[in-house]
Amino acid sequence: MNKNRSKEYDVIIIGGGATGAGTARDCAMRGLSVLLVERHDFATGATGRNHGLLHSGARYAVTDHESAAECIEENMILRKIANHCIEENDGLFLTLPEDDIAFQSQFVDACSSAGISTEIIDPKLALQMEPSANPDLIGAVRVPDGSVDPFRLTMSNALDARLHGTDILTQHEVTDILKEQDRVIGVELFDHGKKEKVNYYGKIVCNAAGIWGHHIANFAGVNINMFPAKGSLLIFGHRVNKMVLNRCRKPANADILVPGDTICLIGTTSERIPIEEIDNMYVSKDDVDVLIREGVKLSPSLATTRILRAYAGVRPLVAADDDPSGRSISRGIVLMDHKERDGLEGFVTITGGKLMTYRLMAEEATDLICKKLSVDKKCETASIPLPGSEKSEETLSNAGNKIYTGASITQKSAKDRHGSLAHKIANGDSNEDSMVCECEGVSIGEVKYAINELHVNNLIDLRRRTRVGMGTCQGELCACRAAGLLCESMEEAGKAKDDLANFLQERWKGMSPIAWGETINEIQFTSWIYEGIYGLKPENN
Amino acid sequence: MKFDNIIIGGGLSGLTCGIKLAEQGKKCAIVSSGQSAIHFFSGSFDLLGKVNGEEVTNPLESMKFLPQQHPYQRVGLENIERLTDEALHLLIRAGLSFTGKADRNHYTLTPMGVMKPTWLTLNDFTSFDQKDSFPWKKAVILNFSGFLDFHTLFIKDGLKKFDINAQIKNVSMKQFEAIRKNPSEMRSTNIAKEFDKGNAIEEFAQKANLLSEGFDVVILPAVFGLFNKSVADQLKEKINKPVLLLPAIPPSVPGIRSQITLRERFQELGGTYLLGDNVEEGIFEDGRLLEIRTNNHGDIKFEADQFILASGSFYSKGIVATHDKLYEPIFGLDIDGDNNREEWFDEKFFNDQAFMRYGVKTDENFRALMNGEPVQNLFVAGSVLGGANPLKEGSGAGISLLTSLHAAEQILK
Repeated sequence: MNKNRSKEYDVIIIGGGATGAGTARDCAMRGLSVLLVERHDFATGATGRNHGLLHSGARYAVTDHESAAECIEENMILRKIANHCIEENDGLFLTLPEDDIAFQSQFVDACSSAGISTEIIDPKLALQMEPSANPDLIGAVRVPDGSVDPFRLTMSNALDARLHGTDILTQHEVTDILKEQDRVIGVELFDHGKKEKVNYYGKIVCNAAGIWGHHIANFAGVNINMFPAKGSLLIFGHRVNKMVLNRCRKPANADILVPGDTICLIGTTSERIPIEEIDNMYVSKDDVDVLIREGVKLSPSLATTRILRAYAGVRPLVAADDDPSGRSISRGIVLMDHKERDGLEGFVTITGGKLMTYRLMAEEATDLICKKLSVDKKCETASIPLPGSEKSEETLSNAGNKIYTGASITQKSAKDRHGSLAHKIANGDSNEDSMVCECEGVSIGEVKYAINELHVNNLIDLRRRTRVGMGTCQGELCACRAAGLLCESMEEAGKAKDDLANFLQERWKGMSPIAWGETINEIQFTSWIYEGIYGLKPENN
Repeated sequence: MKFDNIIIGGGLSGLTCGIKLAEQGKKCAIVSSGQSAIHFFSGSFDLLGKVNGEEVTNPLESMKFLPQQHPYQRVGLENIERLTDEALHLLIRAGLSFTGKADRNHYTLTPMGVMKPTWLTLNDFTSFDQKDSFPWKKAVILNFSGFLDFHTLFIKDGLKKFDINAQIKNVSMKQFEAIRKNPSEMRSTNIAKEFDKGNAIEEFAQKANLLSEGFDVVILPAVFGLFNKSVADQLKEKINKPVLLLPAIPPSVPGIRSQITLRERFQELGGTYLLGDNVEEGIFEDGRLLEIRTNNHGDIKFEADQFILASGSFYSKGIVATHDKLYEPIFGLDIDGDNNREEWFDEKFFNDQAFMRYGVKTDENFRALMNGEPVQNLFVAGSVLGGANPLKEGSGAGISLLTSLHAAEQILK
């Protein structure tokens, strides 16, 4: 085992979700030397498994004032620093005949006290603004909700962290926390690529692993009382709605419909699960049925809209330290200095919170880390834009003047996905412009850019960077094309075949809970192509 | 309109059944909604590749290990050998040259570089006797620059198992520049159309000859001859090394050509082929189907003495799944399958999936059941029949060909 301590980082951050990547960025911008480690890929935990809702905070206004106020503040910040990850769609809170219209005024008051702007909209006008809304609605309130792409957001933070000198290791899983007496000195990692263990050392280790932080804390010999709450969602095959749709009532199951990119999402359910199940998320038949039943109330056309996938994420809820039963659960940000809490120096945990508050969580964690290292530098993440987010000179109106050729479809999609970094994608020659994924307009150039610059280890990573295989065919044809390109760059065809098989399995996991209608037809077709014609079977590779 | 027989479905089963009946002088119509499984034809028809997870060498022998509800068992094992022979000759009469034997599988190379057992192989493609040897030493894999649907590295990787270190080379030709300019046009059928025109064959063969100097075999994507049936043969003649064609991502060019060839044969025999039409409903009386109505023909009735349902599996919409049931969408026939969707799937994609076995219920003579009773003159053939997982068994084309010939025989009796 490597005992070389010549390279000691100021801080090692565990977890490649939004919080981990955000903390890495913040620490690096304050001049610290940073190592970010992630066991799989960026945004594979709760970060990538939620609505992608840019909360205005209105949802929490009545029940949780503090969260609501945090949300609206971060909402306005993200619009400035991450505009390429965000769609400013606005949201409507609908009152349906079965809901109490009296709640509306309570809701509007609570919003305004949290600093969230609201506008009561006449039901008829609301239907004109959002034709997909339930036509029986009796009340509507407009709020500054939006959509955020969590994969892009996380990747942009990681990219900026890297630009500020952060070292990044994906596919590296923490297998132990290294200690000397009452002090954490580093991490033991298992490198999934090389299949070997390796040690890294740092003055501070920051546990930003979401629900998996439970295990990380155990490695360090401390206990955090975490309660995993599973939330399931469904993805529909196209954008039914333009605006985010919510129910104007106390938060409940399946009452948010969020449009994003080419699709829309309904969610979530909420269910406590045992900690042993956090790596085995499945969506049950009952979850699916509830989501559809409630979703149809927001937008009746969902009843006949094709469902692409079902998926579930785990919220990391933390019980108060004096309440091991978990009855008094905080949904807010939890920052722990384990020196104060457990007498263990050099170890910090940042958890709880939500995607919306990742930047604030990163700021609070970094403030603590800086304090421990006696670094006195102010946080700038609220004002300096993320890479890709710089306002582009090409506005929508002059884009419309262009004649749309095939190639400009891929260029426009690339611009949507990578913002001002899209210029890094080679284009303009027929090789680079060739389309890999027709559903989502992904070109060879974009795939190559992702492989070369965005830490792509396999096809599933590639999907999160580019949307390859996220469209209506769920990778039926493009997976093989992308696998071919990945294989060219990695020059390891055997691995690429395994990778393709894993990709199909991963797609299957999301499709099987909702595989009826067109989806079961596609699945049958996909099986025939890959297994029937290509002879792709895990045992053949 | 009155016919002797009307066949619903224009895929491999429907066409086989129609050709057989028309050859026997029946006045037939086929109603086809459009594309079919032949559009992703691999180049071979499988009869039986695996039973109980074991690879099969003699399909005729191994069929006795199939369960009783399997379509082959229901056709009757005593009939199978005769029907396989008949299927081969029907294809040959139609102008499709296939080779292979029902009592001994041969092998074809898949685009993953794996040898797969099969029954009949179209002569564009290459049959191998052995699964563990490759008859050439030095192979060159040629692809068209910018064509993403042929995975040369996977083939190269597969050939390593045969100790072949293949080389990959790309061919650029000005004939393809126009289709390469549009990002989604460089696909197999568009390449085939360029070759169909005739002006790319000579130049491509010359390039292939240059690039294959020092090699024993040239491996190419099967993108030759969509409407022009002689392209593949011309190329093989002009390229002075053996040519091994491998399937590209669908649509399959040889598949579309085969479908066209079978359709033309049916029409030459006097058959009526209604393309792009859907059967909407049927009128039943006393346990018989009297007539059907189609989407394109409105009030015009289609009457026949016998009908054959060859409407395919899920992807052809022969069976439809909703969140709470399975149904046969044209007539509401009885389904052999579970309505509870939790029973349809295994959580592992590559495992045996129960839904693949679902189909329309029939009596022992392949007559469709409706509310438990057979419809006297409605026969069922092909993949709309349940009782087999053709993907796991390697039996899809065999079931289509043999059950449709069997249905035709019931009618001709």
